[in-house]
Amino acid sequence: MHALHHQHGTGQMTTRPIEAQASKTAEHLAALLAKVAANQCRGAFSELFQYFAPRLQAYAANKFGNQQLAADLVQETMTNVWLKAHLFHADRGSASTWVFTIARNTGFDYLRKNKHRLTDLSADELWPILAETNDSLNDSAHNHSALDDKLLMEQISSYYKQLPDSQRIVIELIYIEGLSQQEVSDSLNVPLGTVKSRTRLGLQKLREMIDHD
Amino acid sequence: MIKYHPTDQLIEQFAGGLLTPALSVIVATHIDLCPRCQQVAHDAEQLLAEQVMHTTPNKLPPELNQQFNAMLEQILATPAPSTIIQPPYHENLHLNGKVFNLPATLARQYHRIGEWSRVPGKMLKAPLHLGSNECINLIYMDHGSRVPEHTHKGNEITLVINGVFNDEQDEYKDGDFVLLSQQHTHQPETRDEDCLTLATLDAPLHFTSGIARLLNPFSSLFFK
Repeated sequence: MHALHHQHGTGQMTTRPIEAQASKTAEHLAALLAKVAANQCRGAFSELFQYFAPRLQAYAANKFGNQQLAADLVQETMTNVWLKAHLFHADRGSASTWVFTIARNTGFDYLRKNKHRLTDLSADELWPILAETNDSLNDSAHNHSALDDKLLMEQISSYYKQLPDSQRIVIELIYIEGLSQQEVSDSLNVPLGTVKSRTRLGLQKLREMIDHD
Repeated sequence: MIKYHPTDQLIEQFAGGLLTPALSVIVATHIDLCPRCQQVAHDAEQLLAEQVMHTTPNKLPPELNQQFNAMLEQILATPAPSTIIQPPYHENLHLNGKVFNLPATLARQYHRIGEWSRVPGKMLKAPLHLGSNECINLIYMDHGSRVPEHTHKGNEITLVINGVFNDEQDEYKDGDFVLLSQQHTHQPETRDEDCLTLATLDAPLHFTSGIARLLNPFSSLFFK
């Protein structure tokens, strides 16, 4: 085991076996959460709050560049920890990870709700860590049925052939030969305005055929 | 066996809540289908949590300390919610006479699936309304469908939910996460099987070959 070097210390921090301490902390935090879950232990929650609140504040202030918004995130996150501690499962990950994911979800929503409507995707839909029941995946099962088999190119060609000649020729020159509308006008000896209106009508008709197919 | 995965970096950004809604949904859906990436996401959450939690915070300024004391009291006084709202969950998607089993992320998004419409080439698409202005669609390709050869003006990500499709490079199956950038010209098609995919696109397609160039004026019908 090697000691971790702490870069964010305030100066009085000396090198020490942080890993051992960290794992002790992790067990302790998980035990505190269990107490909150089991009997709404206020003392246990206070200790969790003292530990997590300043850390979450630093995380969120860094994320939002705003101390007040950061404090809102801390409050919302820790309220969920208080009310939903029973949804923490020590076998699925550490207490720190669980609390972090709640904060991450809250932050995800903050970044959107400022700008958008209530119909927006919410973090709970992506990470339902606070859902009371967590439906698991089922294997997909579906049956296949045969349907008609007609290729796209045939479809498009058939639409295209149904256009009146005047429109078909203009569209062919522009979209297949790659001429400009001016060049089409010159080569067919029809006014530019006519080329434009035939193009527009032709495309409109193709679109209708595609839509109504 | 899933062959194509999002990069670990993309999964880390997802785990940090840093991706846009459309990208988050598509990565989350891949993760539903992929045990490997589930593990990557799980590890990333743990690592991020350690970064956030295992630093010793600076001493709090007195006014924040006060605010925290008040906050703690307020939280302890919060009553437990009397009703628990269950998020909607709907895993069966009926389409073209079949039933598809949606991965969990999409089952939670079921209410966001918009109307299905036809796309030329025996395809159907429905937008996913995420409230962002990104373009994300469920796309169903019947067997024997073909998207004409095209290039991308932006990036396209296609996730296979169920079925198989091919392009010039490879064959893509359930769970494959296919990223195509501007450099790629490709022509996706299905053969004997049909295919349900989830795709996001950040700019219209540009059709490149022969008569398919006729489709450029309608490229918004595809995927947009």
